Amino acid sequence: MKYKSQKIAEYFYTFAVLLFLVQVVVGIIAALQFIWPDFFPLKFNIIRDLHINALVVWLLMGLMGATYFVVPEEAQSELWSLPLAYFQFWATVVTVTLVVLGYIWMGFNPHANKFVFGTLLLNEGREYIEAPRWADILIVVSVLLFLLNNFMTMYKSKRWTGIQGTLLGGLTFLALMYLPGMFYTKSMVKDQFWWWWVVHLWVEGAWEVIAGALLAFMLLKVTNAPRHVLERWMYIEVALVLFTGILGTGHHYYWIGTPKYWLWIGGIFSSLEPVPLLVMVWDAFRTTRVHRVVTNRLGLFYAVAHAVFNFVGAGLWGVIHTVPMANKWTHGTQITTAHGHLAFYGAYVLLVISMIYITLPLIRERTDFRTSRGYTSFWVMTISMIFIVLSLTGAGMVQTYMERLVGLDYVTVKANYNLVFWIVRAISGVGFLVGVLIFVVDYFKLGHEPAEVGAKSNVSVTTHAA
Amino acid sequence: MSNRGVRNLFIFGSLFFFVIFIGLTVDTMKKLDKRAPEITEEVDQGKKLWHKYDCIGCHTILGNGSYFAPDLTKITVNKPEGYLEKFLVNPRKVKPSAAMPVLGISPEEAKKIIAFLKWISKVDTNGWPPKPVLATYRMPRSPGVTVFQKYGCTACHMINGVGGTSGPDLTHVASRKPDRQWHIKHIRDPQSVVPDSAMPGFPQMSEQELNQLVDYLLTLK
Repeated sequence: MKYKSQKIAEYFYTFAVLLFLVQVVVGIIAALQFIWPDFFPLKFNIIRDLHINALVVWLLMGLMGATYFVVPEEAQSELWSLPLAYFQFWATVVTVTLVVLGYIWMGFNPHANKFVFGTLLLNEGREYIEAPRWADILIVVSVLLFLLNNFMTMYKSKRWTGIQGTLLGGLTFLALMYLPGMFYTKSMVKDQFWWWWVVHLWVEGAWEVIAGALLAFMLLKVTNAPRHVLERWMYIEVALVLFTGILGTGHHYYWIGTPKYWLWIGGIFSSLEPVPLLVMVWDAFRTTRVHRVVTNRLGLFYAVAHAVFNFVGAGLWGVIHTVPMANKWTHGTQITTAHGHLAFYGAYVLLVISMIYITLPLIRERTDFRTSRGYTSFWVMTISMIFIVLSLTGAGMVQTYMERLVGLDYVTVKANYNLVFWIVRAISGVGFLVGVLIFVVDYFKLGHEPAEVGAKSNVSVTTHAA
Repeated sequence: MSNRGVRNLFIFGSLFFFVIFIGLTVDTMKKLDKRAPEITEEVDQGKKLWHKYDCIGCHTILGNGSYFAPDLTKITVNKPEGYLEKFLVNPRKVKPSAAMPVLGISPEEAKKIIAFLKWISKVDTNGWPPKPVLATYRMPRSPGVTVFQKYGCTACHMINGVGGTSGPDLTHVASRKPDRQWHIKHIRDPQSVVPDSAMPGFPQMSEQELNQLVDYLLTLK
């Protein structure tokens, strides 16, 4: 760690890792509720709210932590204000805790979710952005403080790099795209229209820009690839992300009451969305093959895995049902759930974990650390996730056929034909939890144990070119 | 191309696409109100209740949401209003196998939620959800089957695995209820024989249709 203030990243990582654990535990409860709806005192809606909100918050926490590490590194100076960063961290933790307590309270007493000054007190009842308005405002303040701190760090150092510029650009876009979710509309069609601005332009816009910048940073840190080459490819990737992703929002505007021209716009542009993700995979492999001086093999392993599964999950599993002709039948089925799980895992879970494995050893000043647990957790999590995704894909295909083509009742298909998939999914979920537990243990132990030596060492210098 | 050139392509290219997106958004906003019925005070109140009870935490609407429970875009077209009202207030009283909990929805609130769902069902969704293309389940051709289909009985009742699950399965209804008079009373006015029933009555059905329907039901042993 070159700058003392980079230590703040670890606070964000720790909170992120703990929320990851919460997300997966409630995910298993939700999976069991597909089989036994009354399995848990809190009903499915609250459990799912916790599952998807924990996901969004822990990924954001991870990305914020990563940014607090990257910006001083790139600007070559301490953070503008470390106390401000600590304040922002604790304020966010308190806000998130209050929101979670609110959801649980509402779970036991739905009437506690009252209208106060025209907005709901505990839960806005809008998927992913359930957090009530007062929490929205606190989150916006927190993100503004975060952006200010990082911007001032860059501004004072006068050292602008492509990586940090793109990172800050992605984060600013992220902050701006939270705003369209903060007003009430009487029309459910307009409600969903603006809601997609938040949800789509985050995960298929701003977050992918951040991912592009962080991928370049990681490759720069763990290989000896030259900066100008990495940054050039980064610009090409993030440009293609936004060229396809912005109008790709149209694939959510096929069936919600919006005009027909969105079928064309959404169909064409979202079909192209996998292209930048494929370029990222190519970039990661090329860099790894050409530049053989690797200072953190585990970190690079995760970074490459992130690029691959970003392409498979967000790209392939998305594109299979993105054209209107296919989507007409699959829209609103478990195919979407399958895509959602693999996309978030590949694009963002593996991204944050790879950032942790690349920056945490530097924070703890132990570059050669014990890595076996890191590899084990990867395989356990990834294989379990593949089974989760395949079972959900199977469930989605059966549902599409039985419900949409044959015309059977939703409940019949869910309770009978898809039961076997729910069982496989729940068992795979437990497998995933095992992988996460191994990762969590590794997170807390990293750098505190003797490292492997010889061929298994985390640092490898291969002199011959591939 | 130099790094600066690629960077400028990224920045100005993205702005270009975003400007187009905003233009399309403005155009869409102008057209939306014509593609849906007028929003009354009751519909708006229903939408607020939709949010309050976090319905999207389990259901989907316009295909978006949680995939745990049925999509509600066309629910008011497929299920009788009286049934929906009773179901919302106490789901398991009208359908013992229901997964939905009692949320504490009052009968007045239920009416507002249904008004909102009725509004949603009339939105022009470019033909979504599509009609099932393979729904050519071979029912025996008889006048009774025609009546069964005409009055939408399959929306709630299942026969041989096909049909809804809101009402009882009718595959073997004649074994349970062999009495012709019971069926006639029940179809005209369900509450007269089953006090808690959430099924709507069919006083509009002609005498001939009623007899044909009951003939058919009595074959289901």
